[in-house]
Amino acid sequence: MSKTNNFVFWALYSVAWIIFVGLSIEAGGLLVNFIISLYKPELIQSLYQKLDLTEIYKESRLAFFCYYSFILTIAILKACLFYTVIRLMHTMDMSKPFSDFVAKQIALISYYTLVIGFLSYLAHQVTKTMMHHGLVTDKLRPFWEDSDAYILMGGVVYIIGVIFRKGVAIQNENDLTV
Amino acid sequence: MAIIVNLDVMMAKRKMSLNELSEKVGLTLSNLSILKTGKAKAIRFSTLEAICKVLECQPGDILEFVEEDRD
Repeated sequence: MSKTNNFVFWALYSVAWIIFVGLSIEAGGLLVNFIISLYKPELIQSLYQKLDLTEIYKESRLAFFCYYSFILTIAILKACLFYTVIRLMHTMDMSKPFSDFVAKQIALISYYTLVIGFLSYLAHQVTKTMMHHGLVTDKLRPFWEDSDAYILMGGVVYIIGVIFRKGVAIQNENDLTV
Repeated sequence: MAIIVNLDVMMAKRKMSLNELSEKVGLTLSNLSILKTGKAKAIRFSTLEAICKVLECQPGDILEFVEEDRD
């Protein structure tokens, strides 16, 4: 690997770590928010993002749990996605990248990304429907506004994963040709 | 697999060791071992030619087709 590529790889590895830590903190913060909003709703204002959904809780418990399920699942999946990216970059042997492990990790990344994308899209549609029913949910928009980007990225990564898997099969066959 | 590699049989007939064959054919020991144990997925004509030349045999003496049981 050339010096530039090596530098870019390590820079991306560091960025992936920073994003992973950020997403883990976000997921943890949201989880704490969820628990606090159930037992001590008056403390919400001093918590992460001041995400106060107690109004929704009072109006409809179903909507409250539905929103929090989406928020928490998406946040945890995002953290898992970047954990997979870190594990891939940490374990990958750049001198011999075509291995079953790398192919599996790329496939896993594409699945995570697609699930995040579709869940965000679904949550966005549910939010829209709920708005018609008078439940104010505008502050939730940032949690799932990038659903299209995730679906597109998931599709691209999935295609790369399929090509990579084919590459691994060809390399294995080549290794076992004498 | 339906194709059986009888390299060990031919080597025994010619009283040749794997090391000796490896030196004469110009293949690495690991590659010869892959071929001998039946793990190989393909064999190059050049490799087959070299092995046949060294062992003084025909490709049919090294490779054999055996029909697999269907049940």
